[in-house]
Amino acid sequence: MVQEHSNQALMTVLIDHVTMDYPGVRALSGVNLQLNQSEIHAIIGENGAGKSTLLKILSGVQNATQGRIVIDDIAVRMTGVKDAERLGIAMVHQELNLIDSLSVAENISLGSEPNSLGILQRSRMNRTASDALNRLKSDISPKTLVGELSLASKQLVEIAKALSQNAKILILDEPTAVLAERETRDLLELLKLLRDEGVGVIYVSHRLDEVCEIADRVTVLRDGQLVGEVKREDGLTTADLANRMVGRELQDLYPLKLRDHEGDAVLQLEEVRFDGFAAPISLHVRAGEIVGLGGLIGSGRTELAQGIIRKRRRISGRVYAPAPAYVSEDRKGTGLHLTLNLTQNVVMANLKRYGLLTLNKSQEKQAGNAWIKKLAIRAKDQGVVVQSLSGGNQQKVSLAKWLDTQPKLLILDEPTRGVDVGAKSEIYQLIVEMAKSGLGCLVISSEMNELIGLCDRVVMLRDRKVVGELIGDEVTETNMMAMAAGVSVE
Amino acid sequence: MLNKLLSPRISIKELFSRYGVLIAFILLFAISASRQGEFFLKPDNLRNIVNQNVPVGIIAVGMTFVIITGGIDLAGGSLVALVGALGLVFMNKQIDSRMSEGMAAILGSGLIVALGALGGLVQGIFIAFGRITPFVATLVGMVAFRSMTVVLANGGEVRSLSKNVWPDVGIGGIPVPFVKDTQGNPIVIYYGIIAFIVVVMVGSFILNKTRYGRYAIAVGANERASHYSAVPVNRVKLLTYMLSGICVGIAAVFLSGKMNSVASGSQGVNFELDAIAAVVIGGTSLKGGYGRIWGTVIGVLLMGIITNMLVFENINSHWQGVVKGVVILLAVLLQRERRDV
Repeated sequence: MVQEHSNQALMTVLIDHVTMDYPGVRALSGVNLQLNQSEIHAIIGENGAGKSTLLKILSGVQNATQGRIVIDDIAVRMTGVKDAERLGIAMVHQELNLIDSLSVAENISLGSEPNSLGILQRSRMNRTASDALNRLKSDISPKTLVGELSLASKQLVEIAKALSQNAKILILDEPTAVLAERETRDLLELLKLLRDEGVGVIYVSHRLDEVCEIADRVTVLRDGQLVGEVKREDGLTTADLANRMVGRELQDLYPLKLRDHEGDAVLQLEEVRFDGFAAPISLHVRAGEIVGLGGLIGSGRTELAQGIIRKRRRISGRVYAPAPAYVSEDRKGTGLHLTLNLTQNVVMANLKRYGLLTLNKSQEKQAGNAWIKKLAIRAKDQGVVVQSLSGGNQQKVSLAKWLDTQPKLLILDEPTRGVDVGAKSEIYQLIVEMAKSGLGCLVISSEMNELIGLCDRVVMLRDRKVVGELIGDEVTETNMMAMAAGVSVE
Repeated sequence: MLNKLLSPRISIKELFSRYGVLIAFILLFAISASRQGEFFLKPDNLRNIVNQNVPVGIIAVGMTFVIITGGIDLAGGSLVALVGALGLVFMNKQIDSRMSEGMAAILGSGLIVALGALGGLVQGIFIAFGRITPFVATLVGMVAFRSMTVVLANGGEVRSLSKNVWPDVGIGGIPVPFVKDTQGNPIVIYYGIIAFIVVVMVGSFILNKTRYGRYAIAVGANERASHYSAVPVNRVKLLTYMLSGICVGIAAVFLSGKMNSVASGSQGVNFELDAIAAVVIGGTSLKGGYGRIWGTVIGVLLMGIITNMLVFENINSHWQGVVKGVVILLAVLLQRERRDV
């Protein structure tokens, strides 16, 4: 490929026939790609399609087995993140890499602290930070501790950090996965702004509607190969992109809602006040019902769930929840033991069933295998370390762990976060099947479509208070947004 | 294990990172055998190498559990002296009041193990419920237990009044009829070695077969996820430090028996560090969440063989620390995980 001369001033990154082999797996095979400045370039693909590998190669974490990376006609070899940053490529990871106990400014200049003879120059540090934040139109103070910031603000700090290192190409891995609807809007606007300023934005996301909204160009990966490149002017539709990603026609993402919910209550909160909540909350879920818990990030959804599973102190009121299970939003932190194997994870919450004093290992293995089959978990065998599974399959393991306890109420906190479209529809299918078999489900989600597609009833929270309930046809994006944000609708 | 060794899927690199200690041990064993010839392979020589490391070995088994849960126990060396001294004081009183030596030894060893458990429990309470980091809680134990021992012995040593039975606990044993020692008598396997073997077997069983063992791994791998998975995290920690204390108690029985006394200032000094070294050499992860008892055993024996080699090669024993340090470093380098970003 020949670089156009008119583009000389702007940086171009060529990924030239890149192949990446892991033991036993070819994660990428012969991928060609061009990244430009002043462009939003979305890279999409199911989990396992090779996106993460591509990002690792681009950000200098790993070297390709074959092929090369060419920046402005010069083949480069990067041996670390620092190399990539020096070349103008910076990455904002899905799991943010900030240090909570340091200030915003200290985080932004981490690793390249302004100093004179080893002594920090704090004022310069703060100035760099506020310059970078101003560029993002953010009013975060450089002196705030990062630990005190919301997830959305932390993300801004990460972006500011990248920009302060003069990144020409900014890679964002699933940036909106942790954001609520409104924060997502703000971020997308910001990305457009950065593009107009000349930054090349590489946007990796499972959320196809966002991709369609902001991408100038979309690259589709499947099974380690490049299967398509679509330009904005050729027209972008979510259906088309989804089909290209999956390589087959996707059936309707959400299963039919055909259930009767005459079951007994499996969750009943009567005027319950949990620690950290100002107002008492009443809520019920019946067996066979799928109830949504909506609201912005910080509205108290996860905290309410913690209360239900007795991980948060109850101050007053009555809780009836005979066998609750909580599938965490935070797989890495509270959800799974990533370094243990699949079976060990699946039986962890229910270990008493596998032996009173000594464990019955064959029974454990049986359970592992049974859940692999039942939930169609794509794993080599029951002994595979969970860390090596894709997000969707990890989520299924998490689900299996709690289903193994035979709960009556299943609280699903962001059940499809960081999960690709294919696995997403499988997980929805599972949730509906579980409800049909008599389980009560409480689904916490920041994706409004998810609540609309899945739930019979949605309870909305704002500022740790129940602000309303939407039933059946009332469950619409407008209604939810209005309640979540606290504005009235015409 | 043999299955895994023979399976063709395992790469050389993995083989080394998993079984590196074992390979190193076999290598050193072979070198010793070829350098020292027949003498090295004599049953009494091998027995003595093991016997020298029995107290540290028993403590290291308990330490393996502690490290698997992501903790550390620095108090072992001091606790081994304290409970040994307390046990001797108790036994001397009983013997003074005309209890038979045998009875006193039975009650005394029971007391020593129980006090070890108690010492571990107290530390466990501070760690689990007081939310003090294991390093600090057991550092406190390390200095406090030592000081208590010195106070108890008035700065000197506590001598046992037992003339026959207690020394026999330390240096007596069971003769094995079919194996002859250098003098041509049936070789005597010391009680301490038997206790070590039992502790190792029980430890392996607890780690690999019981619910508590699994919980210990889970807590070390991810404490928060364990808490959310209804694992009784605090109880697991409590039990772990108690287990470590019990091992220290068992070690104290044989250590105080071997000397028939406890030197308050010096007995057991640095045992906890030797135990930690053995655990680390054995491949147990200091980050927690992964560990193996057999590795620890190899770690202990490896250090024993090295000491033995240094003596044979006439190398000044002052160099021991340097050699040990290098071995620990090599072990950790060999077994370190690849960093996945």
